[in-house]
Amino acid sequence: MKDTLHLMAVYTKTTAKAWFQYRVDAVLRSLAVFLREATGIIVIWFTLLKFDTLKGWDIYEMLFLFSLLFLTYGIMIIFFTGLRDFGKTVRDGSFDRFILRPRGLLFQIIFVNSDWFAAIGHGGLGLVLFLLSAGKVGIQWDLFNALYYILTVAGGVLIQGAVFLFLAALNIYLLQTESLKEMLYWNMRKFAGYPISIFNKFIQIIMIYVMPFAFVNYFPAQFLLRKSDMAEYPELYLYLTPIIGIVMYLAAYCFWRFSIRFYKSSGN
Amino acid sequence: MTAYTAYARKVFLGRSAYRFDHLMSILSTILQFFIFYEIYRALYGGEEQVDGITMSMVTTNFVLSLGLGTIFSPDDYFLPNKIWDGSISTELLRPVSFKGRMIAENVGNSAFNLIFKFIPVITVALLTTGMSAPADIPCFLLFLLSALLGAGVMFTISFAVQMTAFWLVNIWSLTTIKNVLVNVLSGSMIPLWFMPEWMQGVLNFTPFASIYFTPVQIYLGQLSYGEIAVKCAIQLVWIILIYLIGDLLWKKGQRKLVVQGG
Repeated sequence: MKDTLHLMAVYTKTTAKAWFQYRVDAVLRSLAVFLREATGIIVIWFTLLKFDTLKGWDIYEMLFLFSLLFLTYGIMIIFFTGLRDFGKTVRDGSFDRFILRPRGLLFQIIFVNSDWFAAIGHGGLGLVLFLLSAGKVGIQWDLFNALYYILTVAGGVLIQGAVFLFLAALNIYLLQTESLKEMLYWNMRKFAGYPISIFNKFIQIIMIYVMPFAFVNYFPAQFLLRKSDMAEYPELYLYLTPIIGIVMYLAAYCFWRFSIRFYKSSGN
Repeated sequence: MTAYTAYARKVFLGRSAYRFDHLMSILSTILQFFIFYEIYRALYGGEEQVDGITMSMVTTNFVLSLGLGTIFSPDDYFLPNKIWDGSISTELLRPVSFKGRMIAENVGNSAFNLIFKFIPVITVALLTTGMSAPADIPCFLLFLLSALLGAGVMFTISFAVQMTAFWLVNIWSLTTIKNVLVNVLSGSMIPLWFMPEWMQGVLNFTPFASIYFTPVQIYLGQLSYGEIAVKCAIQLVWIILIYLIGDLLWKKGQRKLVVQGG
């Protein structure tokens, strides 16, 4: 155990060093990711200067909704960059090296690489949005709500991690899954910053049951904010995020363990 | 001339190789459009108009600017990639103008996007939402002219930013920040009618509204002929101004070009 922690620390240190080799570039890159991700927020901010509310949600409530999305991604990507880029690892054959080392495969994939620009860009943005909005949306930050918040962020991290893990396992059969990820994850994520009740039923069903972004930010935010459009959904959904996170992650993990046995090297 | 046509053709044909990626990018544009459409439907909440702007004008703004956006897609890494891998040194020795080739390849790319991206996107938007027809035929023709100028603004901005690669080598960050500015300020994500007044003032000093918003306003018949002439002249001035800045960097850059390895 102590040995494992030591190895984690060494891996984290080396990847951080590699990402920040060129310091000015690293700062600029983190800023660029930050701004790129903030685009949607800047737009909604300008829009609500004019329109005041979007289906009853004011600007601070919108910022709070967005903050959960970015915070969970920022934390998730520290651990799951290796899974995001897993297709490349399989295609160029470097996955073979992992297999030969005396450590768990998932452990290595998780700790040998972290996209720190994305982590700082997304996570930093999430934190800024949280700090801007958390005091202004009427949430009583007592022990219970704080605990709910922590559990729900963890659940959101697991949900997205499970999707990346599932797609990584799929790579073992398909070699190319980038387009699938683009469609399933990145395209659906574009909807996730807004209250899902504004979209048509088809998109809502995907967001709740297929690629459950609604449980990453919409339902958790609803638990804390109680906006009127929650009446369209079962009350139970407010409490499900951590459970869905754990169940999805376990399912993805089993699929991964099952698939890994079929791995055939593509490299030479 | 034939050399440049060949470059344009090569890019056009090269693009046809990646069908699935292409399909994804069409889908992605259509989704983007629907998100904005649904957001504005919720914002309007059944209101006929807001500040004299109807829902169908908003829809038109998004269809046209996202549609034109598929055509106005300069290759932001044309020069940087060649500096990065060192091939710029052989490129500069060729008997064709580098800038000419850059234009030719972008034209080939845009022609491909016009046929296989713009048309599908516009068709879906027309079938599913209430987009306005052009105000009248002269407005439509002037819209086409202004859209061409808008493309010019977009491409010269990319040209000028690319030239900084002579000094920075890796311009991913700068390009990303440029794209954020274009996305937010050109009207493709928020119709510029709804920008606060102080922001409209700021926008007058930037080239971004010249890209999509001027063509959209002309299409909708919001401008008199006098105003159209002024706005198109402004578009032209931006093209010339940004091109001159880019060209200055291009000349200085070649003198300081450092090729890493070969």
